[in-house]
Amino acid sequence: MDNISPLIQFFLDQGLNLDTIILLLLFPVVATIVVILRQIVGIKAFGIYTPSIITLAFVFIAKDNFWDIKYAIAIYAIVLFVGMAMRYVLKKLRLLYLPRVAINLTVVSFSVLLTLALAGYFGRTGFASTAIFPILVIIMLVEKFVTVQIEKGNRTAIILAIETLIIALIGYTVLSPTTFVGEYTISFTLAHPVALLLIIPINIFIGKWTGLRLNEYFRFHDVINKIK
Amino acid sequence: MFESIRASKNILGMNARNLTYIRPNNLKRAKRLADDKIRSKRLLKKAGVPVPRLIAQISSRRTLENFDWSILPPSFVIKPNKGLGGDGIIVIYGRKRGTDDVWIKSNGKTVTMEELKTHIGHILDGEYSLSSTPDIAFFEERLKLSKEFRPYAYRGIPDIRIIIYNKVPVMAMLRLPTKESGGKANLQQGGIGVGIDMARGTTTTAVQGKSKIIEYVPDTRLLLSGIKIPYWDEMLTLAIKAQDASGLGFLGADIAIDRDNGPVFLELNARPGLSIQVANMAGLKRRLERVEGLKIKSAIRGAAVGKSLFGGEIEDEVEGMSGKRVIGSVEEIKIIGKNDVKIKTTAKIDTGAYSTSIDKELAYALGFGHVTEGFEKIDLSQYDITPKNESQIKKDIIAKYKKSIPDLDDVAVVFASSGASVRPVVKIKFIMDNRTIITKVNIVDRSDMKYDIIIGKRNLSRFLVDVSK
Repeated sequence: MDNISPLIQFFLDQGLNLDTIILLLLFPVVATIVVILRQIVGIKAFGIYTPSIITLAFVFIAKDNFWDIKYAIAIYAIVLFVGMAMRYVLKKLRLLYLPRVAINLTVVSFSVLLTLALAGYFGRTGFASTAIFPILVIIMLVEKFVTVQIEKGNRTAIILAIETLIIALIGYTVLSPTTFVGEYTISFTLAHPVALLLIIPINIFIGKWTGLRLNEYFRFHDVINKIK
Repeated sequence: MFESIRASKNILGMNARNLTYIRPNNLKRAKRLADDKIRSKRLLKKAGVPVPRLIAQISSRRTLENFDWSILPPSFVIKPNKGLGGDGIIVIYGRKRGTDDVWIKSNGKTVTMEELKTHIGHILDGEYSLSSTPDIAFFEERLKLSKEFRPYAYRGIPDIRIIIYNKVPVMAMLRLPTKESGGKANLQQGGIGVGIDMARGTTTTAVQGKSKIIEYVPDTRLLLSGIKIPYWDEMLTLAIKAQDASGLGFLGADIAIDRDNGPVFLELNARPGLSIQVANMAGLKRRLERVEGLKIKSAIRGAAVGKSLFGGEIEDEVEGMSGKRVIGSVEEIKIIGKNDVKIKTTAKIDTGAYSTSIDKELAYALGFGHVTEGFEKIDLSQYDITPKNESQIKKDIIAKYKKSIPDLDDVAVVFASSGASVRPVVKIKFIMDNRTIITKVNIVDRSDMKYDIIIGKRNLSRFLVDVSK
């Protein structure tokens, strides 16, 4: 951190935590990454909020050590697996929607707790001491997942969950202080925070863009060949 | 590569659909109407568009508890008012014999009144509604499968999706429920989408799910192309009327055909999917651009514009009008000779000749070698070949040789620019452009000609010849 903009210095002088400043500044960047992946590449995921917040959770969990990302992925997988399995168990009970999701959340929380305890028992102290708020953020994914599962079926829900994971991992690579690119992004942000204003024209451009998404070239591959 | 990029400009993608077509044309009010099935039903009915009959609606737990189940007909459908993609719909085929609170579902399983009540409870809680907000459940008459579609549909009812823009039908597909889609006609769930030629209302190419191109109904030998959609013109005008009434500028109209009542309007769709382009093997974007800004006064006019703009190629239209196939001056054909020998060859289409002639070699290959050999032994110099003697010569030769030369069907006297000749005639069958023709052909030495068969006027009555082809 040899090159810090006076603006950032001002924030620090007011007693703000550096992590807080970085996460708040990078949140719009995360959102823009999600936008690009959605509008131009065609990776759908669960809307914009969920992948953004999960990216930040990932960044936070692995903020000291690059390979801590495996804990984040493990928690993500456990949450989704238990959440999905619970839906089948609870379906038979014929409960109203909200109580059902509450039970689902309960079981998911306990499973995560148990996993962390097991990890500690087997000496994986890094896993066991994962910060709680990012874990809670990942757990909240259950509701989103179950909603999609009900509305569009298992397949779509799983595809969207995998896409969300991919987005989170891409976001993590671009933003985490433990990756090569992320290190650069962060030092650039701290040196030139005003450059982040570029995010707005970028989003205006994407917001008016009507071209085909990358995945649509594959989806309509046969049609395109037929027409030409 | 560049061609692909140019071709891709014909395709409507998600971004353009949302920004260019849905946003400015489907205002919030109209979209809300489309998402509210009961309200759209009422509005469409008023506009003269036939819809499935609403039997009853349940908007609260209290009405559910007090509901008089005996008013229901034996078969009916339960739907969430703001459902999405066909979810939450239960189709009831009839009461189980001897009971009054057990029904049989479309998949053959039974369902009790308690189970239906729980399901309706879920609907009321908003489990199937667009934004998980509380919803209304309703009972509707069950449509019956029309006999035209019977072989093609797995359990559910097929429907026809027509995209209407600016009062012009731009693209359409037939949606067939399959085993994978659980009897629902939605492509996303594994249903089949079959493209429709707008002018003729006949199916063309097909896709299953989002992008799997298929030719036959799965597990059968039933061809998906060439299905004639009944009530086609009526459906086009219904869809345009529905657009007019709903105020949805960019509409996906879903219309089904009921066995007893004909076309019935199922659903207004404010966000029609894009797979219709794969089903039709055609791009939607260019079509939408072509009808942009047209002033269409009536539904009938709109249907006519859509049919003429987006029907198959002109060739198809000519064929549709005259019932004749358009062929070129040279065509690949398959000839079937004696003992079912099949030979593929290229034929010259000669509208200047009256009859069809084949080469000696070809006749030999088709199993008529003995005819030419036998015929060559006849001394033809005894005849004076003039038009005046034609019938006399024919009669004479047939009388003398019919018995000794088997398969000699007739004798032809041909007067060509190269001189007059007498030729043996045999009977063959040939297939040209999918049509089978049984005919008499004369045999002649064509060894110095490019084609070993010329097809004359006599066999061309079912074709139109396009000399540029």
